[in-house]
Amino acid sequence: MRKANGLIGANWRSEMVSNCAGATLNRLLGNGNEPEKKGEPMSEKTAFSLPDALEARGVTRRSFLEFCGALAVAAGLSYSAAPRVANALEESVIGAKEGNLFPVLWIEGASCTGCTESFAQIETPDAGKVVLELISLNYSDVLSAGAGHSLELAKKQTIENGNYVVVYEGGITQGFESNTLRVAMETGENILVEAAEHAAAVIALGSCAVNGGWMAAYPNPANATGVSAILAKHGIATPVVNLPGCPANPEWLMSVMVQVLMLGGAEALVAGDVPAVVSTLGLDDQAKPKGIYGQTIHDNCERRPHFENGEFVYEFGSKEEELGYCLYPLGCKGPQTKANCGVTMWNNRRSWCIQAGSPCIGCCEANPNDPGDNWVEVNTPFYKRDRDLHIGSTFFRPTAVAAGITILAGAAILIHRFGMKKAGRMDGGADFELVREWDAKNPDRAIGQYEYSVLGDPVKMKAAQEEIAKQYEAAEETAEAAAEDEGR
Amino acid sequence: MPFVITHWINLAAMVVLIITGFLIHFPVPISMGIARGLHVFCGIVIFINCLVRCIMAFFVKSAPTGGTRETVKDYKTWLPQEDNRHQGPAWVKYYTFVKKDHPLGAKLGVPQKLSYLLIPILILLMFISGLCLWAPTASSGFCQWCLGLVGGAMSMRVIHYFGMYVFIIFMFIHVHLATAEGSEPVKLMFLHKEHGGLVYDPDKHVIVGEDKMEH
Repeated sequence: MRKANGLIGANWRSEMVSNCAGATLNRLLGNGNEPEKKGEPMSEKTAFSLPDALEARGVTRRSFLEFCGALAVAAGLSYSAAPRVANALEESVIGAKEGNLFPVLWIEGASCTGCTESFAQIETPDAGKVVLELISLNYSDVLSAGAGHSLELAKKQTIENGNYVVVYEGGITQGFESNTLRVAMETGENILVEAAEHAAAVIALGSCAVNGGWMAAYPNPANATGVSAILAKHGIATPVVNLPGCPANPEWLMSVMVQVLMLGGAEALVAGDVPAVVSTLGLDDQAKPKGIYGQTIHDNCERRPHFENGEFVYEFGSKEEELGYCLYPLGCKGPQTKANCGVTMWNNRRSWCIQAGSPCIGCCEANPNDPGDNWVEVNTPFYKRDRDLHIGSTFFRPTAVAAGITILAGAAILIHRFGMKKAGRMDGGADFELVREWDAKNPDRAIGQYEYSVLGDPVKMKAAQEEIAKQYEAAEETAEAAAEDEGR
Repeated sequence: MPFVITHWINLAAMVVLIITGFLIHFPVPISMGIARGLHVFCGIVIFINCLVRCIMAFFVKSAPTGGTRETVKDYKTWLPQEDNRHQGPAWVKYYTFVKKDHPLGAKLGVPQKLSYLLIPILILLMFISGLCLWAPTASSGFCQWCLGLVGGAMSMRVIHYFGMYVFIIFMFIHVHLATAEGSEPVKLMFLHKEHGGLVYDPDKHVIVGEDKMEH
C-alpha cells in the first residue's frame, strides 16, 4: 500500500481519516496547505508547482520532457509535440501549478483490476507519479489508502460537488438483477449510473468497460456489457471515452488526459459540450481516440517486412521463430486489431507482445455497441487463424465445416455425373417432354402453345427442318446478292 | 462475343482469387506479397467485370434459346421469363432422376437462372466484405458500418471465407452440368462456336423445329 500511496495521494477531509496513512502522506508531500472550507465537504486536493514537484522527486527536466514525448506519441502526435505536452501539463487545470485539481473517481466494476495494476506499474521514473498527483484521485477501490465508510463518503462528496471524471474499469454485469457485483451494499450497475450521471465524462478503461470484454463471451451468464450500453439504457448523456485493451496501456489513459488538457477539453467537459469533447479527443464513432485506435497492430508492426516477404513462423520453438519472422500463421490477430501497441509499446516503452514473440491476441477488439464483438468471443482460439463458431453449445472450426461441405458437394456431384451417364443423358441430354407437366394438369392455363409443337411428330418435324434450312438459304442468297451489289 | 470475354475474365479472376485467397489464409513461404497484390487486383477486376456484364445484358443481344439464329437483348433470357413458370419442380425432378424427360424451356432452366442471378449478388457481397478487410478501405464509414453489422472484422473474414466455398461449389455444379449433356455449351462459351439443335420458340413456348447448322 505504501507504493500506492506514493502514486496517488488519497484525499478526503483529513479530520475524517486522521488515522489514515494516505492523509499522513499527503501532509508529508506538502499537501497540507489545503484551504479550509468550513461547512462544505471538500472534494479536490490542491497542487504545488510542477517544477518544484519534479525537483523534489529527483526528476530532471530532460527525463520529464522524454516522458512528455512518449505521451505525445501515445496520443498519436509526433515526438516533437513533447514541449506542447510539457506545457499543457504545467499549465492545465489538471496539472495546475497551484490551486484545485480535477477530481477523478476510479471505480472498479466487474474487473480483475488488471488495468489498475498495469497503471500502477508505469515505470517512468517519478514523472508518472507526478502526473498522477496532478489529478485529485478521490476514490479508487484498489489504490486508495482508505477503505470502507470513509472512502465511500469521499466518493459521495465528489459526486455531489460535480465536475469530476470517472475512470471505470471492468464490465457491468446485469444478470441476476445486477446482483453479481455488489460493492458497499450497492450493485455495480447502480454505482456506475450514480457516478456517471453527474460526471463531466466517463473513461471506460479496458475492454471489459468498453463492451463487457471476455465476460461477455459465450455463454455470458452474467449478461455483462460495457459502460456506454449501460448509460444508454439509463438515458444518461455523459460523454464516454472508450479505451479498450486487456489491460489498457496506461499511457493511453495518460494521453487522453493530456489531450483534454492540451486542447481545452477540460472546459468542454465541464461545460458538458459533447461535440467539443469528441473533436478535442479525436474520437471515432465508437468513442475511441483515433490517434490510438485508428490503425491496426499490423500497420505498425516491426515484423511487417517479414509478412510482406512471406517469411513466417509456423511453430513455436522453430528456427523461423528464432529469426523473428512474422507470427501470422500462429494466429496473430494484428491484421484486424486496431491499436498502436507497436508505437507506444509497454512497460515504459521497453517491449510489447509481438517483440516478445507472442502473436497478437487482439485484446483491443471491443465494439461498445455490440457485447458479442468482444475480443475473446471473436479471437479464440488465440493461436488459430480464425475463430471458432458455435451453434448453441456446439463449437466447430470454420475451415472444417466449409471444406467438409464442399467435399460432400463435390462427391454428390460426382455421383450425379455417374447418374447422368447411367440415365443416358450425357449425349445431348434426355429427350424433351412433349407437354409441360404443369400444362398437362392445367390445360386451360397452359404456357405452351402446343399446336405449334413439332415434337413427337416426325412429319411436322421434317417439314420444319426443311423450312428452316430454306429460310437460311434464302437469307444467304440475299446477303450474297447484297455483297455483289456493293462490289459493283 | 462480349459475353465470351466476360466469361473468360470471370473464370480467370475466380481461379486466381481462390488460389491467392488460400495462400493468404494458409500462408506458404514467399507467396504473401504476390498473393495479396493479385487478390486485390483480381477482386477489383471481377467486380468491374460483373458490373459490365450486368449493364451489357441490357444492350447486347444474345440468342434467346439454343439452336436459333435469332437474338434478343440478353437480360430478357437472364431474368425470369414466361418460359420458366411452373417449371421449377419439373427441373428438380429431372435432376433427381425422378422425371425421365427433359423439361421444356428456353435457354436457362429454373435452377440455372436462380444460380446465375445469385452469382452477381455473391460477387457484390464478396467485393464489399473484401473491401471491409482491405486496409485502405476498411476504415471508411461504409465499411465500418458493414463491420458493425456483422460483428467485427473476424466475422467479416469468416463470411468472406465461406463465400469462397460457395463459389467453389457453384463452379463444381456449373462445370458438371455445362458439360454433362455434351460439349456444345462449353464450345459456345469459350470459343463462341455456335451449335445447332432443336429450335425453341420463346413466344410460343414450344419447340418448333430443328436447325442442323448445315449452312
